[in-house]
Amino acid sequence: MVSGVNMAVNLGGIKMRNPINTASGTFGFGWQLEGFYDVSMLGAITTKGTSAVPWEGNPAPRLCEVTSGIMNTIGLANPGVAGIVEKFGAYLAGLEDRGCRVIMQAAGHSIEEYRDAVRLIEELAPFASGVELNISCPNIARGGRLVGGTPEDASEVVRAVRPLVSRPLLVKMAPVRVPEIAKACEDAGADALSLINTINAMSIDIHTRRSRLSKPTGGLSGPAIHPIAVRMVWEAARAVSIPINGIGGIATGADAAEMILAGATAVTIGTQNLPDPTAGPRILAELEQWAVEQNVSDINELVGAFEC
Amino acid sequence: MIAANAQGLQGTVGLHEFCVLANEQVARDTFRLEISSLVAKRIQPGQFMNFAVPGDPTHILRIPLSFSHADAPDSHVTMYYVTVGEGTKRLSSMRTGDISTVVGPCGKGWRLPEDLSGRCLLVSGGIGLAPIAAAAGMLSDAGIAYDVIAGFQTAARIPERLISEMEPLLADDAKIHLATDDGSYGFAGFTTRLMEQLIAEHSYGCVLTCGPEVMMHGIAAICAREGIACQASMERMMGCGFGACGACNIPLVAGGYASCCMDGPVFDAKEVAW
Repeated sequence: MVSGVNMAVNLGGIKMRNPINTASGTFGFGWQLEGFYDVSMLGAITTKGTSAVPWEGNPAPRLCEVTSGIMNTIGLANPGVAGIVEKFGAYLAGLEDRGCRVIMQAAGHSIEEYRDAVRLIEELAPFASGVELNISCPNIARGGRLVGGTPEDASEVVRAVRPLVSRPLLVKMAPVRVPEIAKACEDAGADALSLINTINAMSIDIHTRRSRLSKPTGGLSGPAIHPIAVRMVWEAARAVSIPINGIGGIATGADAAEMILAGATAVTIGTQNLPDPTAGPRILAELEQWAVEQNVSDINELVGAFEC
Repeated sequence: MIAANAQGLQGTVGLHEFCVLANEQVARDTFRLEISSLVAKRIQPGQFMNFAVPGDPTHILRIPLSFSHADAPDSHVTMYYVTVGEGTKRLSSMRTGDISTVVGPCGKGWRLPEDLSGRCLLVSGGIGLAPIAAAAGMLSDAGIAYDVIAGFQTAARIPERLISEMEPLLADDAKIHLATDDGSYGFAGFTTRLMEQLIAEHSYGCVLTCGPEVMMHGIAAICAREGIACQASMERMMGCGFGACGACNIPLVAGGYASCCMDGPVFDAKEVAW
């Protein structure tokens, strides 16, 4: 490190060269960004949510812009674990060799689908340092309510998957009932928590009286949700002793620093990657500069250093 | 990056600074933007760029624009755009000398027709004429003759400057046919009706089209009926422009979706589930 500050962090057993991670669904499978910079300089990348079988996703329009953010209803379109490993496995394994941790995100519509996805990741993607369980999907078998929308449901899915995962297991929480669900996930065996996912929101075209997305509601992300995400990271960090991966509207090093002060060990850049594909290295540099200004020798000294 | 190359997965899209050389109104709600940027060295006809337009931090996304002409040696690129939304209105306020960035070149552009002996027909609706002008340049460079149908809502929206930039490239016997929906200039009616007249008089080996989706659907249907190859340049709301977000899906006849920004924006019209 040029600054002399140690930026390496340990996210529940995932040893990252720095705290910068990328959010699922905003970074493709990593290679799409290689034309902009050397992706291996990041601490980690998180893949698009991967299901046991390919998912087509939702019809267009899948995205609209709102004040200080975007809304999406992509529907976790992905070619399935086997398709991803066939197409991108060599690249992702190479990324691990280059020192950037790869976190494979698993998605499902029922507990059995999560188990199937995770089994395939274990079998086909041994290169990945960690698995992130996205428990913000609708549970089709249970009337479409969130897979992890209550502490009981979150606990059930994490317990069902935990024995199948030999690597560090992150759980990506929905932004609801944060302290209770965080504790439930920790008790069920999660090694770290990722939060927040997008916030369910709505945008109506007043001329056509229709949704601006192909579904009535979609997930809100971007700077609009950042202060909510900071509050939820702080709540989660007070409720559990496992590390937090802070996500939500991080657009600058200052935003990332807020997350770290609130209790995040790693910070994940999502929506900002879309308009600003070099956000990762820029935010890393700004974060390191902040650590220098805070006069610490190790970024970990600042995790949870918020004083109220 | 070595691993990426080994997989043929090296990203080809880059981030480039641009400087505004000119940004002037040329027709109702229609502007001509000329920039200086190194993206000009690599961009191909039918590809697009994603513009960061300063001035409003509450709108975070870039604005995707196709181009009409790129001059690689001079690093100049020319765009024509219509001020339809907040972003393009903001873009219209950029002045000569202003600096920002583009992401590009994005996507896959026009392809030369497989049968180089046939004549081509280019059909645009509205400002879709801009990427059609780039296609015209590509065909002229390849020595392929073409006619153009350019449709507009009304005469006040016709960018005469763009048409005058295209005219010198035309073959001696070729023509740009103008049409307006309201009959205020040229052929009165939709481009599909004018196309029916032209294909009754001439034989065309391929059609390249860009415009409103409903128009392109009509053009593609005529091509399918007549057995003419057709390429269509599609449009979608885009998040990134380089395959990271999966927002810009185009439904396919074969089932599932393609990515407008990576697999397109130019598609074989018979593969699109209109």
